[in-house]
Amino acid sequence: MRWNSTGYRITGKADLNAEDFFVEVEAPEVAERWRPGSFVILLLHEKGERIPLSVQKVRDGRLSLLVKRLGKSSWQLYREYGVGSEVAHLAGPLGKPIELKEYGNVVVVSDLVCGHAENYAISSALREINGNYVISIQSFKDRSEVYPEEFLTKDVCHEFWLTTLNGSAGIKGHFLDVVAKLLEERDIDIIFGGGELASLWRLAELTKPYGIPTIVTVRQIMVDGTGMCGSCRVLVDGKIKFACVDGPMFDAHKVSFEDALRRLTRFEREEKLALERYLRGGAP
Amino acid sequence: MKEAVTARRVPTPERPPEQRLRDFDEVNLGYTFELAVEEAKRCLQCPVEEAPCAKACPVHIKIPLFIEKLRRYSDARTAVKEALRVIWRDNLLPAITGRVCPQELLCEAACAKGRVGEPINIGKLERFVADYAREHGIDDELLEEQLPRVEAKRGRVAVIGAGPSSLTCASELAKIGYKVTIFEALHKPGGVLLFGVPEFRLPKKVLEKEVERLKRLGVEFKLNCIVGKTITLDEIRREYDAVFIATGAGTPKLLNIPGILLNDVYSANEFLTRVNLMKAHKFPEYDTPVRVGRKVIVIGAGNTAMDAARTARRLGAEVIIAYRRGREDVTARAEEVRHALEEGVRFMFFVTPIEILGDERGNVRAVKFMKMKPLEERNRESKRKIMPTGETVVVEADTVIIAIGLVPNKLIWENVPELEVTSEGTLKVDGDLMTSIPGVFAGGDIVRGEATVIEGMGDGRKAAKAIHQYIQRSKHQQAILKV
Repeated sequence: MRWNSTGYRITGKADLNAEDFFVEVEAPEVAERWRPGSFVILLLHEKGERIPLSVQKVRDGRLSLLVKRLGKSSWQLYREYGVGSEVAHLAGPLGKPIELKEYGNVVVVSDLVCGHAENYAISSALREINGNYVISIQSFKDRSEVYPEEFLTKDVCHEFWLTTLNGSAGIKGHFLDVVAKLLEERDIDIIFGGGELASLWRLAELTKPYGIPTIVTVRQIMVDGTGMCGSCRVLVDGKIKFACVDGPMFDAHKVSFEDALRRLTRFEREEKLALERYLRGGAP
Repeated sequence: MKEAVTARRVPTPERPPEQRLRDFDEVNLGYTFELAVEEAKRCLQCPVEEAPCAKACPVHIKIPLFIEKLRRYSDARTAVKEALRVIWRDNLLPAITGRVCPQELLCEAACAKGRVGEPINIGKLERFVADYAREHGIDDELLEEQLPRVEAKRGRVAVIGAGPSSLTCASELAKIGYKVTIFEALHKPGGVLLFGVPEFRLPKKVLEKEVERLKRLGVEFKLNCIVGKTITLDEIRREYDAVFIATGAGTPKLLNIPGILLNDVYSANEFLTRVNLMKAHKFPEYDTPVRVGRKVIVIGAGNTAMDAARTARRLGAEVIIAYRRGREDVTARAEEVRHALEEGVRFMFFVTPIEILGDERGNVRAVKFMKMKPLEERNRESKRKIMPTGETVVVEADTVIIAIGLVPNKLIWENVPELEVTSEGTLKVDGDLMTSIPGVFAGGDIVRGEATVIEGMGDGRKAAKAIHQYIQRSKHQQAILKV
């Protein structure tokens, strides 16, 4: 067993579009255990925050993470942590992975960076299992946002759909439009989704009348990520669950999305302040 | 005349509340050597074997004996070193226990002097010995003398969690020649002492020193390692001769009332972790934020509730602690309650929250309480039973902090069916603190539910002895089998 107690080396990095990027971190003990559906927590430096990140895939003891430049920490990771440098801490895998088994006809959808990572992970794992037919749908706003081919799920599923809202690449629309069509035309056994909570909420409403199991990642603000603080609590079937240990994937038909969406905005003001300060060059 | 003077304790200086509210520095400044000696001289010096204080101490520190050392030597260095030597025999973390133990319920409650006046200030004397030793390098000197003379080859022990129980168990085993590895899920060691207890009650430099001492004893720390996730208990068992689990009671209980998901409703664990571990009070220099409104209501009246309330005061809020029982049933240390009151924290008794009210944006606007009334009948903890009056009261607030206790974190046993668990989620252990798995021991809150730091440390010590015996016994058996 090789251990990193502190200091995790960055071994790869690339732009995916104007906002999203890929970063590969060496963490053999985490990579070995990671399974689709689980995530990791990364801490850049001793003054940093603990940020949950989705894993796209692992190889040779390295984790491929897909990140959006959104807040201060992701900007700092993008700007200051190049290949060869080290992030201070990385912990995981956290949360419950999905069950890897024969489901039948599986649809996996995503419309946001973390969702795209999960889509890749889930599609590729389920495609390997006999009896599964994996339909993967990725949505972007427009052509300029579409990831380079090797980061798309195209080659890790049986059937690939790419959509853009304006139709500049793939078909015009959102994964919700494709799912609506598939629900009418095909026999779908299960749907996995990740990305914007608002889209996942609509996905839940869309599939509910059909009674099709719909499992989605409920992205929430976390601190420790090990069930210790309850920051990421989500109401599922009227009961409080912690996204970090009970999730992050839940039965979409039972999730209270209204609360989940609102709780994502808890620190909006502070996040904005920290980012502006960083971009002004105010913080090291 | 002389009796009248010694009936009272020698006071320890404290910083004034208005100054305290401006920072996170410690409240009590502790004794100087001269003041400590003066207080030590009040001790009646009961024979150690019969001393009620030592009997009441969960780890049985030979209290009269360490106090005697302070009186005997006029030279501060010698007095402190000898006193520390006595304390270390039973407790390796006196700077911590001197600060966080509920002495008024333990040693000081039993103190013979207490029958005729104020009990000896044992907690502050213990803290003085530890602090003076640390500030003058006396602890390093004593450690040097006590470092294991032999290579650590008696066996390998894995300790899971890096809180007070684990730190104690690890140091006890390291001292007698075991190679100990501590596995910790967070990025720093300390457990509840780190994320739970605020800086103004336990300065982190005190904790860091204790961790450093463990490292000098050869204890290895594996941080960012979540047992049950990053590594399994089985894998650890394969590499180590024995395991001690002390992962604490890490999961916060939340109220099952409407409004619990509103934006500015925190568990005390979240609120305190943001500040203590992540330094959110220094945001944006540190990246983790915390939001505290102008009016904070803290639900609960234990130490964690006091810590949360006093932290919120330091972040500039008005704070009310709301408790469903009465003043006499407050479970926090007396000193914390006094400090909270001095710092302007207000209390509401006999109220239990039934709803947290929000505005149209999902922010907290008030808390609705049911007024309670006490009955004559008492419960198992000899607290008066309470019942709702039917009358409600609404109190304005923009932040709510829930501090009603914790339950064990299930991560440790979730995927280990052989590990027997009680209905409360605590681990079942035998008289030697061994779990249902041979060679796997457990102590502290993962066994007790919710207990004190000193009880957890007592378990760590007891487990260390049991682990030592277990390993020696199994090595002996292996040797016989080979023959």
